[in-house]
Amino acid sequence: MVDMVSGEMNMNSKVSGVSAINRHKGSDLAARGEPMVWAMGGSLAFGLMMILGFLALIFWNGLTAFWPKPIEVVTMTDGRVIAGEPVRTESYKPTSADLASIPAEARAKIEANAGMSERTLYRIGNFDFYSNDFEWLPFFTVKSSAHPKDLMLVERSEWGVFIGKVESILVDGKTVSNPSLAQLDAADEQARDLRRQRQTIERDKVGAVNSAINAERLKVRKAELAYGEGSPEAKAAADAAAVETTRLTGDFDRLSAEALAMRAKEEAIRVKVAEIGGQEKDFPLANFVRYYAANDVSLFQKIGIYLSRWWEFLSTEPREANTEGGVWPAIFGTLVMTVVMSVLVAPFGVVGALYLREYAKQGTLVSLVRICVNNLAGVPSIVYGVFGLGFFAYVLGGSIDRTFFPEYLPNPTFGTGGLLWASLTLALLTVPVVIVSTEEALAAVPRSMREGSLACGASKWQTIKWIVLPRAMPGIMTGLILAMARGAGEVAPLMIVGVVKLAPQLPVDGVFPFIHLERSFMHLGFHIYDVGFQSRNSEAGRSMVFVTALVLLVLVLALNTVSINVRNRLKRKFAGDKF
Amino acid sequence: MTETAMTDATNATPNDAGNRRSVVYKRDKKTKASVIWADRFAGRAITIGGFGIIAAVFMIAVYLVYVAVPLLSNGQVTSARHYTLGTSGGDVMSTTLDEYQTMGVELLRNGRIMLFQASSGERFDGPTVDLKGETPTAFARTLKGDDIALGFPDGTVRIGQLLITPSVVPARTLPEGLRKLPGGDLTDGKSIITPVPGNQVRRLEPQLTLGDPVQVAPKDTPIRFLDYRVGGTSERPMQTFVTVDDKGTVRLSMSTSQVNMMTGETTTSVSSLEIPTQIAHEDIAAVLLNTSGDRTLVASRDGAMHRFDTRDPAHAHLAETTRVLPKGVTLTSLAYLNGENSLIVAGSDGSLSIWAAIDRKSTATTDGIVLTKIHDIANTGAPITEIAVSQRTRLFVAADEEGEVGLYHGTTARRILTLPKAAGIAAEPVETLILSPRDDGALAISKDGTVQLWSFNVPHPETTLQSLFGKVWYEGYPEPGYTWQSTAASDSFEPKLSLVPLIFGTIKGAFYSLLFAVPIALLAAIYTAEFMHFRIRAVVKPLMELMASLPSVVIGFVVALVLSPIVENWIAAVVIAFGVIPLTLIGSAFLWQLLPQPLALRLDGAPKLAAFFVALLAGLWITMHLGPVVEHLFFAGDFKAWTSGSGSAVPFLFLLMLPLAFLIVFGLGERLLGNGYRDALRRREYHVAGAMELVRWIVFTVVAFVVAGVIAMLLGKTGFDARGGIVDTYVQRNTLIAAFGIAFAVIPIIYSIAEDALGAVPEHLRSASLGCGATKWQTAAWVILPTAGSGIFSAIMIGLGRAVGETMIIVMATGNTPVTNWSLFSGLRALSANINVELPEAVKDSTLYRTLFLCGLVLFVMTFILNTLAEIVRQRFRKRAAQL
Repeated sequence: MVDMVSGEMNMNSKVSGVSAINRHKGSDLAARGEPMVWAMGGSLAFGLMMILGFLALIFWNGLTAFWPKPIEVVTMTDGRVIAGEPVRTESYKPTSADLASIPAEARAKIEANAGMSERTLYRIGNFDFYSNDFEWLPFFTVKSSAHPKDLMLVERSEWGVFIGKVESILVDGKTVSNPSLAQLDAADEQARDLRRQRQTIERDKVGAVNSAINAERLKVRKAELAYGEGSPEAKAAADAAAVETTRLTGDFDRLSAEALAMRAKEEAIRVKVAEIGGQEKDFPLANFVRYYAANDVSLFQKIGIYLSRWWEFLSTEPREANTEGGVWPAIFGTLVMTVVMSVLVAPFGVVGALYLREYAKQGTLVSLVRICVNNLAGVPSIVYGVFGLGFFAYVLGGSIDRTFFPEYLPNPTFGTGGLLWASLTLALLTVPVVIVSTEEALAAVPRSMREGSLACGASKWQTIKWIVLPRAMPGIMTGLILAMARGAGEVAPLMIVGVVKLAPQLPVDGVFPFIHLERSFMHLGFHIYDVGFQSRNSEAGRSMVFVTALVLLVLVLALNTVSINVRNRLKRKFAGDKF
Repeated sequence: MTETAMTDATNATPNDAGNRRSVVYKRDKKTKASVIWADRFAGRAITIGGFGIIAAVFMIAVYLVYVAVPLLSNGQVTSARHYTLGTSGGDVMSTTLDEYQTMGVELLRNGRIMLFQASSGERFDGPTVDLKGETPTAFARTLKGDDIALGFPDGTVRIGQLLITPSVVPARTLPEGLRKLPGGDLTDGKSIITPVPGNQVRRLEPQLTLGDPVQVAPKDTPIRFLDYRVGGTSERPMQTFVTVDDKGTVRLSMSTSQVNMMTGETTTSVSSLEIPTQIAHEDIAAVLLNTSGDRTLVASRDGAMHRFDTRDPAHAHLAETTRVLPKGVTLTSLAYLNGENSLIVAGSDGSLSIWAAIDRKSTATTDGIVLTKIHDIANTGAPITEIAVSQRTRLFVAADEEGEVGLYHGTTARRILTLPKAAGIAAEPVETLILSPRDDGALAISKDGTVQLWSFNVPHPETTLQSLFGKVWYEGYPEPGYTWQSTAASDSFEPKLSLVPLIFGTIKGAFYSLLFAVPIALLAAIYTAEFMHFRIRAVVKPLMELMASLPSVVIGFVVALVLSPIVENWIAAVVIAFGVIPLTLIGSAFLWQLLPQPLALRLDGAPKLAAFFVALLAGLWITMHLGPVVEHLFFAGDFKAWTSGSGSAVPFLFLLMLPLAFLIVFGLGERLLGNGYRDALRRREYHVAGAMELVRWIVFTVVAFVVAGVIAMLLGKTGFDARGGIVDTYVQRNTLIAAFGIAFAVIPIIYSIAEDALGAVPEHLRSASLGCGATKWQTAAWVILPTAGSGIFSAIMIGLGRAVGETMIIVMATGNTPVTNWSLFSGLRALSANINVELPEAVKDSTLYRTLFLCGLVLFVMTFILNTLAEIVRQRFRKRAAQL
């Protein structure tokens, strides 16, 4: 004991002695820990670079995806000529087999660059001609390149993009060779008109007749279920349905014939195109979605094309297995799902928090429950998805089907994934977030205010309603908006409980009861996954994925920003209320 | 508020004013009933609602358990019946049951067919086939049971079909006057008719066809043993049968049918080949064939199994002889399990074992395949004499000498159910035994003609705790292992549902991502909390937190489609980046120390932050230029090829050993230099000391490199190789990529919570430390960090929880291959990703469906434990921080 103390004193005196001598110099570098500070600062810089780089990547690719690019005609060393939009250039490592087959000069250049070579990806389109719409060209295969003004870029409703020349058009039985843009525009307008009319018939009118026929069938089934098979009521229903169905079938045939005639008219307007190698093809002009002479457009036209592509993207339905067209159903589905989710989660979360904070007896049990609720916020979303499918869709949905929609069985109505179950699953997923933030907000309301209110004779509920809740509003709103942001960005559970790659109908439309909670829907996040990973050619959908990711990111970031702003504003509003 | 009050006051008539005054004077002291009711109602509603919501949230766990638990249940016998049909068991050659367990059919030795209603035993006669006065001496049927073959004393074989064909017809097409059977069924004497929903009936009718006799053995040499298989396609079936005649000659026969396009006649040609054996005819106990006809097994009574390779029938030869039973034990029964890869062997000592043909590239057999015992099934009863196997799973029923029947599962090697024998049934051996087509019933006919029919419900025979979490030896695998493979194209496929590779994948992904995320997040958090000006912090922190709100599907997409090709091209650079970038940063720190002190102090804020970026970019630049060089020098110019096994192991070991070498060198170096050096440093001017430090660091670093090199050489000499361990063949979507993606999601969470924890350390501690003359670094390292330790721990735990549950990034950025190695460059399959990929395809209440729920439960439990731990630690930390 004595030894230790004296030892310590010795050491102390030594240390203090040394520092006393050198105090004026004061350059103890170890104490400043500069390397550690740099390691820390470097980590932070790395983190910031990750997020900024990520945002820059998404924004740059997303925003430039629709910008019309020039078409380059590349003559290759082996004499082949291709025409395409250059997409991007990257360095890569050619395999040794590749290296052996290239000119010595290029090989030397690659070897000088430590084995790295460069190549450019061209979007050559014309899938129907080449059965491949992208091509990588290493720099050593390129002999020369040019930008001829007469090449057109055509977005088509079938087969993707076409790059090449318009040889002739056939309008009203007359063939116009080498049509001018004005002639092409006029013919296109005509074809487009016919197409629009036909689509109205096919989609709206025929669709309505179809659903009416189906409704008749269901009526019969319902009567059979209600009165028993072969009962007089069922027979009467069947007879009535037969009459009605005959009439509807007549309608259907008439409309189909009309649509067919329209299609024939539409397909009479034809266009003949030729790709750069001279192969020709003849197809209806109505297939043209958008076209422009890529190397002969002014800046204003480019802006026009850019904006029109954005408009198409935001307002139309996808085509070509989701790799082209728009994402309107996905945007709409995401929004509707988020709204339904918020409507469900807000009261649940607030009531849960009110109970925990204001009504439940505070004790071990409640703090245990609180810990658990906190934890549930950390339970993986996919687990909620599993629960949502098993319990909501199969158990709840199944019993709803048996009770209310027996005539549809065995086709499930609510007994499968759908908008309601997806929203409910996400509500369950985000309820802990809302409970936690609401509770925090409730706890932050000063006790004195509550006591003041109660002392004035207000009841507990009055106090909560008029004093506590308004003051806690900023916190509640923040929690709710954060929950919405999380819900909007969540994909994994939705893939199990009702999101589909292509939904035939929107969840909200003009048919009674207007909001169809049982329908499956499209979602921006799932769209990204589907186009990026499930489509024929991930390269073809890549720009679409970037734009979709941009839209989703903007949606989520906007919700987050709004939540921060709301919190700040409401905080300021109530700042003076504190005693 | 005031405004309304004012308007009220101005609008008030005198009368109103009078009323109001009277209210003031004579105010009712009682609370208005509406207020009380509202209060009570709200109280009740909120209590019930709140309780309900919290209960609902907890129900998740309960529901997951509820769905997953049946996986472990053995199922139960739902009914057991017995009756006699008036035939003796010895007369019955074969029996068949339809998939609804409505009708049973017996084929008798005299060529007669007897039908009976399975539920009641009500019997009536069916069609007869003319056996031309012969009594069959051997009988065989295929695994599916529809195709049969009969062997006769005159050395002929007849092949045919015995099946029950169901047809569904509208009820109104039925004729009048059908006989009623118990249970609502009807019969017309030839078939059983059952009403089904939708005004329809299902008619079950037996069909028996038998082809012409084919002379296989020499005339009047009885066929003793027979096995029969039908392979090929349904258009061109290939019927194969193997026969053993009275003299012990084994013959393999193939029958091909061709339809004449002109006449519509079917011509069948049979070719037979003798298989050379040296087994005495009286020793042969059984003969077995497989569907493709390329393997013939002849078992002797003493348990010797002779396997003949008949891939080329003309050159059929003995491939292997193995004993499947110990000495002194005789073979009592032998059968193939569904899939014909595994054999069930029953011995007279009551043993029951499963053998599989495993390709071990052995030289002891002609084709390298060895018959190996893969399971022993504990059988406590008498020797098994009869076995019937399932047509769809690895289930089988087996009856012993005393007539006890059990339901077994081959792969999990257990008796699932004992089928109870009704009181009063004699302990007679079972002559004929079948398992119903849907694996939900079994029918046994004893020697005395008693028919027993059991119905049972065994929904998940293939899952046990052992099969879900332990090693299982699946047929075709060289050894027991953890396997996840839920689906395959073939019918006889057996799902392999081990959760271990999935749990392993989850842990692997989380571990590597945290290895990357934790240092970055914590270091960044400490810097933000302790070294940063609060104005810059106000910008930086929300920016980092923004990262937390990025949808994981977007991260997954960027990581998988943008980053992974880049990493693949630059893999060598990426590998060395883990060393080069920290070294560049630390080197920059030593360079920074060369700055004169006043300048360094002036540049301490934003300029220093900018300098970090510059140093980082410089590190990246060096990495990009050094990467190809390193690849060229040390990895034979191709890192990916190196991971698959080309080139020397040493360079990578060198990289691996670097951190260790640095620890050793810097640790020892500090000791060696000791206080003398520090005093010397203190005596110098600031920038001189900085230069000394720089030199010291450079020397130490070089020494560390040398040390790492030496260790790597030595390890390389001992034959140690990182390949096969933490590196393995490179695939484009790999753990490295996924870990980076998950780190993206996890860094902001750890960062944010850790920063909060550091910020929550009371200010007076910081002031006291700084006031005593400690530097910022000393304060941070020795005062703040220990105080905030538990908060930081909980931050890491919550980050871990998130990494464990991450789904989309893993689905997109890894190949979802269920491997169990630690390699950074191979893929992984996590629990979450597995659920996401498989659940949309799983049929409700199927084994896969329940197993996926179990995956969800495991995930739930894992994250719940992690989060609870974090929460408890955090609460303790809060309490402590409040006390300080």
